[in-house]
Amino acid sequence: MHKPLLPPVVRRLLTVLRPYRAWMAGGAALALLAALAAIGLMALSGWFIAAMALAGAAGAAIDYFTPAAAIRAFAILRSGGRYAERLVTHEATLRGLAGLRSWLFQRLIPLAPARLSALRSGELFARLRADIDALEHFYLAVLVPAAVALVSVAAGLLVALIVLPAAAVPLLLGALSAGVLLPAWMQRRAAHDAAQAVREAAELRGSLLDALRGHAELLAWGGVEAQAARIDALATRLDARRTRTERLQAVTAGAAGLCGQLTLLAVLVPGLAAVHRGALTPTLLVMVSLLVLSVFEVIAPLSEALPQWHATLVAGTRVFELADTPPAFLEPEICAPLPPAPAIVFERACLRYAEDAPWALDGVDLTLSPGARVAVVGASGAGKSSLLAALLKFHPLQKGRVLFGGQPLEALQGDTLRRHIAVIAQHTVLFNLSLRDNLVLGAPDADAAQIERAVTLARLDRFVASLPDGYDTLLGEGGGLVSGGEARRICIARALLQDAPVLVLDEPTEGLDTRTARELYVELEVAARNRTVLLITHRLSGLAHLVEEVVVMHAGRIAARVPVSDYLARERAA
Amino acid sequence: MEPAAAPGDARYGVPAAQWLRLEARRVRQPLRRAALLTALAAPAMVGQAWLLSAVLYEAVFARAPLSRLWLPWFGLLALAALRFALSIGARRSALLAAQSLAQSLRARLLRSAQRLGPYGLRREASGDLITRLVDGIDAVLGYFARYLPQVAGAALIPPILVLSVFPADWISGLVLLLTAPLIPLFMVLAGSAAARASERRYAQLTRLGASFMEALGGLVTLRQLGAARRVAQRLEGEGEEYRALTMKVLRIAFLSALVLEFFATVGIAVVAVLIGFRLMWGELTLRAGLFVLLLAPEIYSPLRSLGALRHTRMDALAAAQQLSALEDIPPAVGATAAGVARAPLAAAPEIRIERLGYAYRDRGAGLSECSFTLRAKRVTALVGATGAGKSTLLNLLLGFAAPDSGHILIDGADLATFDLAHWRAGVAWVPQQSHIFEGTVRENLQLADPGANAGALRRAAERSGLAAVLARLPKGWETQLGERGVGLSGGELQRLALARALLRESAKVWLLDEPTAHLDAEGARAVETVIRAAAATRTVLLVAHRLSAAHLADWVIVLGDGRVIEQGAPLELARSRGAYNALLEAAR
Repeated sequence: MHKPLLPPVVRRLLTVLRPYRAWMAGGAALALLAALAAIGLMALSGWFIAAMALAGAAGAAIDYFTPAAAIRAFAILRSGGRYAERLVTHEATLRGLAGLRSWLFQRLIPLAPARLSALRSGELFARLRADIDALEHFYLAVLVPAAVALVSVAAGLLVALIVLPAAAVPLLLGALSAGVLLPAWMQRRAAHDAAQAVREAAELRGSLLDALRGHAELLAWGGVEAQAARIDALATRLDARRTRTERLQAVTAGAAGLCGQLTLLAVLVPGLAAVHRGALTPTLLVMVSLLVLSVFEVIAPLSEALPQWHATLVAGTRVFELADTPPAFLEPEICAPLPPAPAIVFERACLRYAEDAPWALDGVDLTLSPGARVAVVGASGAGKSSLLAALLKFHPLQKGRVLFGGQPLEALQGDTLRRHIAVIAQHTVLFNLSLRDNLVLGAPDADAAQIERAVTLARLDRFVASLPDGYDTLLGEGGGLVSGGEARRICIARALLQDAPVLVLDEPTEGLDTRTARELYVELEVAARNRTVLLITHRLSGLAHLVEEVVVMHAGRIAARVPVSDYLARERAA
Repeated sequence: MEPAAAPGDARYGVPAAQWLRLEARRVRQPLRRAALLTALAAPAMVGQAWLLSAVLYEAVFARAPLSRLWLPWFGLLALAALRFALSIGARRSALLAAQSLAQSLRARLLRSAQRLGPYGLRREASGDLITRLVDGIDAVLGYFARYLPQVAGAALIPPILVLSVFPADWISGLVLLLTAPLIPLFMVLAGSAAARASERRYAQLTRLGASFMEALGGLVTLRQLGAARRVAQRLEGEGEEYRALTMKVLRIAFLSALVLEFFATVGIAVVAVLIGFRLMWGELTLRAGLFVLLLAPEIYSPLRSLGALRHTRMDALAAAQQLSALEDIPPAVGATAAGVARAPLAAAPEIRIERLGYAYRDRGAGLSECSFTLRAKRVTALVGATGAGKSTLLNLLLGFAAPDSGHILIDGADLATFDLAHWRAGVAWVPQQSHIFEGTVRENLQLADPGANAGALRRAAERSGLAAVLARLPKGWETQLGERGVGLSGGELQRLALARALLRESAKVWLLDEPTAHLDAEGARAVETVIRAAAATRTVLLVAHRLSAAHLADWVIVLGDGRVIEQGAPLELARSRGAYNALLEAAR
């Protein structure tokens, strides 16, 4: 077995980008053409003026039409080639970028949320974003310069071997040093600092977040100065690291120019000797000298490409590892049929999030017959959210099973199952789409009349009328332009449109002030009409009218199941 | 706060560019040094071209051996080393400038951001603020460390080189003099439209990236709705649409690059061909010809490098726009003019609120003519509808804002005369939603008392119910909390906040904002017991958004539209037919 030329991560990336290989290869070829034309222009010009000078001095005739025409041709090839190159490489980049994103998105869909911890942590999410960014820049920042430099150096070596073989060795050594060895040396020297800098940047970000979001606490408890000092110390440390890295980069970048000059001087030694001996036509020495100088123009960008190459490897390893994570569930080929009004049955359901974690569900037995209206209450950590995660087929059970409409969840396709369950939750996300698109996310075929009806029932009609573009108004990133109460109403309308037999309300009024919450009670009742209702909350107050029974959870187990009136009476007595 | 303007937006440009220029002035010294070192490379280039053309001339016409050319050979070596040193020096100076600027900027902007005040900061999506502070400053750093020195290079090097060509060959000098300045000119002409187009493209690319990341961030919701695959298709469609649109723009945008390349290339070609023929006619020496040919590409090179750094500038402008907006944050309304009094507080001070008035800049009145008394060793509950002024009152008591009118009297002494740090040291505060700091549970608790020993920590944890939370956590006290650690639920957070209050045993006043909101009935009762016990030696104010929390109070104050509309013992108020009773009815 021979060692593969490219690391697996890069081969993998190239496989994903395979549909765009024609564009990518075309862009690289044009870049190469432009680079070779630039080298040819300088080398030929040098030879030309030397030859013309010699001819002029000797009074000899010379065919100047051919080289002058070639110089013009190189000039046009270079400027035209650069233009075409930029167009084609950008076309390739944009196509590749779209392809990569779509591929990745498809791979990540089945992983959410059980296998995608990045969605829960802002920092991991930011890292994922940066990783994708690095992969997207691979073609333009690494692949093209590397390919161009490689072929240009090879072409230069070929010319050197024909004209002045002794020049090939210094050219090869100089190119290797400037393009590979020096950047690699820098990379190794900077590796430790770079890794530390990533960690410290995250720490700095966290400390700044603490200083801003926790400003009230810091004021009240007296820690503003201490926090500012911590930030200052962190920033100083981080800046020192970055300075070291940047200095190394400055050395490498400057060294590329130095290598070019040294190579030229090294080529001049055998070159001048050969000319003196009469073994080399003097005009060709001029040509080789200029050739060497212009080849190094092409090598110089490699000092930036190598760090990018490493960034790609690191980012690619993480992204592909994530993309290759097996989903929590293997979906069945065909979905078992479901009755119009399915019952929900938990049978000795046990769930935990890690091998060493405590049981989040510890043998839950719970039956919700069609049309049942049940609240699950309990302190945080009692297992309420896990119950929902299991029901939605987001997290697998370690023991026991869940039946939906008489079918075990394993026999149901997740998407079909979830079409039968509408969720109104505190953490439901709105997207920067139009209001209409946000509403019909769960029911793409809804017509205008259905949307109108849902909006009226959710009492959103006045809000819609107040919007500048009505249903076409964009809601802003993360629905940022909508207030908390309106966001919740949009979720209610969304659930109404989905028209599912089961409705899950997960802390539906949490995070809203009392007045806004109270105003939602009626709409929630409307949404709950004629459906099986599962209400998850740590406190029933205000929502009791939505349910008939209350299930009390404690430490992953069901502690009691009582009619809602009994529960309320017991609460009042306590 | 306005949404940040996208790059390419008409509003952005002048002020952002101006802001960057002003910032540059702060580090004029090292920036000038960087420019000088960059410009010094030009004479070195001239020397190199001169020596190399001498060597090649000797080789071509005299077939001179190396032994006769050692002097220029070593000269070239020395100049190569000099250029290496100059390039490193220039970059170091620029880096130095950028870093000292970044450090002072960070501190300055953090202070500006904190001017929003504790509550303003919470309203702002501070994730966005952080992005501005960290990423924005990094983008600006790139501008100073890389772009500005390159600007200096592009402005200084070509003229020096062109001038030095004249003595060797004035005709080539003229050609170069005419083409080189044409480049920026043509770039401006072809570029102003193209630059706008490319800025728009950049903004669009950013937006496209944002909607991709947004979809990824909302993936759970999308799966819940069964919409993930549809959104994936939509993203693909958007990407395709964007690509077609962008390429249309790029065909024009890259024309400016074409102009640059064309002039640079044709300049070299024309010079080479002209020189060739004049050499043949004997109008020029080969040495002068080679000298000009060697310098020609160097003349265009700084301009081309500058073009490659355009994104750095655009990133910096976009960042500058946001950073300068951050600096424009006005100081919080009624910024606290703190006094200096550090008189010791009584064990349980009586707090009199006298005709307190406070108005928000952007919404209705917070408080007006509000008067009542918090009696020593009593629990006083503050109730009322949203917007009645409960949170405002708490803010004023904590000194987060100063009243517009009226007084807060602590045992008769006006709070306005107090050294606020001294006053706050005597206060324990349990907010509705505590912030968790990056650090361990222990560190988070010790915020209330950095010197607290293990025993004090344990006692506070046991009484607040935090001990039960600790038992669940993998590493107990040493469990890392916050963004990169374990998250706590609302109820657990409240226990932590209560533990903080208990840890500060010296606190004379407890200010509690809905301390049982996230707790189940059992947990709430335990917390109420702790509060009652604390009141034995302290003055306690309890803000109750939910009325159920008010029943443990000795006294209830009902606020409405910023003033007291009713007060009394909770049972009496519940029996009477007043405002409290109405609130109770409404809650049922």
